[in-house]
Amino acid sequence: MYHAISVHGLEKNYGSHAVLKGVDFDVAKGEIFALLGVNGAGKTTTLSCMEGLKKYEKGNITVNGKMGIQLQSASLPAYIKPMEAVRLFAKWNKSSINQSTLATLGIPELKNKCYAELSTGQKRRLHLALALTGNPDILFLDEPTAGLDVEGRASLHDLIRLLKADGKTIVLASHDMAEVEALCDRIVILNEGRIIFEGTAAELTEQMGKHYIIHIKTEQGSESFETDNIEDSLLSLLGSLKQKGSRIRDIKVDRGTLEQHFIEMTRRTKA
Amino acid sequence: MSAFLYGVALQWKLDIRSKSLLISCYLVPLIFFALMGGIFTSVNPEMKDTLIQSMTIMGVSMGAFIGFPVSLVETYGSDVKNVYKVNGVPLFFGLISMFLSTFIHLLLMSVIILLAAPAAFGASLPQNLPLYFAALAVFTAVSLGVGSLLGLAVKSQAKLPLFAQLIFLPSIMLSGIMFPRDLLPEILAFIGKVFPATWGSQLMLNDGFRLQNLWYPLLLFIVSSTGCALLLSKLKKE
Repeated sequence: MYHAISVHGLEKNYGSHAVLKGVDFDVAKGEIFALLGVNGAGKTTTLSCMEGLKKYEKGNITVNGKMGIQLQSASLPAYIKPMEAVRLFAKWNKSSINQSTLATLGIPELKNKCYAELSTGQKRRLHLALALTGNPDILFLDEPTAGLDVEGRASLHDLIRLLKADGKTIVLASHDMAEVEALCDRIVILNEGRIIFEGTAAELTEQMGKHYIIHIKTEQGSESFETDNIEDSLLSLLGSLKQKGSRIRDIKVDRGTLEQHFIEMTRRTKA
Repeated sequence: MSAFLYGVALQWKLDIRSKSLLISCYLVPLIFFALMGGIFTSVNPEMKDTLIQSMTIMGVSMGAFIGFPVSLVETYGSDVKNVYKVNGVPLFFGLISMFLSTFIHLLLMSVIILLAAPAAFGASLPQNLPLYFAALAVFTAVSLGVGSLLGLAVKSQAKLPLFAQLIFLPSIMLSGIMFPRDLLPEILAFIGKVFPATWGSQLMLNDGFRLQNLWYPLLLFIVSSTGCALLLSKLKKE
């Protein structure tokens, strides 16, 4: 398989404190890949090393393609206007501006505002537009939807899916588990500088050995049942409710959210 | 080249939108000129011969040491430099575009003083205007070079005014534009020669554009340019 990014044996220290203790993973071309971890787990440091912003003591990082980077902590001159910034960055990258991407991000609507007047969400959209001006093959997004409202978040998710469909590789660092679950093909969970899980969200669920949880709401109230055999349990539950004459108002089956699995896995590793 | 020229033109626009740079490059120097021009020429009518040079040196020093470094800290002491770095904009671009833009603003302010001083205070025009502008260009570039070093070396907005005043005040007080240098104690006159304003005032006087007045400003420009290059290279590695 052709790898867009390969990270092998990555070690990084801050003074005498080892932040990354031999991190290995590959990111396939065209996939959306997430780095997860609690604060201090080493995900931002891993991201910075991949982006070339931080040096590392040991290991190898290979990035096959042009990078576009949206930093978590980013700023621009206070009086620059969004389209001026886009034009400036496009000129330095000798690339043309994709008007439809700009329109999706709502950049033309901000033409009369200076950077200092933009809201947090508008600034995030602008920085994503700047990351895309060089037409990168690989896009690094650090907390891309932080500060965005529901509508902005949904349109950004659509854009990320469009970019993936366009063949771009996307590496995402996010605290929003629902976002990661909805968007990412594969995830890596970092804990204290080491990888404790690498795979898909479904594989994480399997690994955590979660039962099915059936949530049922009837006229009498709500109840939840845990089971390993979803088919038999569901049929018997429905049969018993029918016998009692209870009317079902809502029924939901889940296997736990990525967030629950993430919390449990990091807790288990610490124990 | 197109990116660079677009960037310089954009920086020029940003400087006009930024009220702080307009205040330090135009408003304060021109108000100072309007007030002190009258006082200087009333107290000592001989000042009419050097009023344009004195007021220009004060204005350029204020723009270069007080206003310009603030713009640099806003870029190089903040996340702006990281955004430049990761989006393919060279780090030197910010410095050079701001340098050129402020250079033009300071030249415009100097032209306003040159045009207004004879009419307002009966000041004498420099005898050789092309040489006067050459001297002004050298002095402005050297002052901005020192200002660049200040803006790149001091990354904190809180500490910057202190360091800026440490250069600005002696430049003005010891360069001979406020008091004749002959009246200064020897040690202060010597300290005054460290600052570009002293050399600027000698260069901009009639017949002052000579090698003996040029060598130190040029040396200072080379030293500050080298210092800036080293600081930018350090920032790139961070």
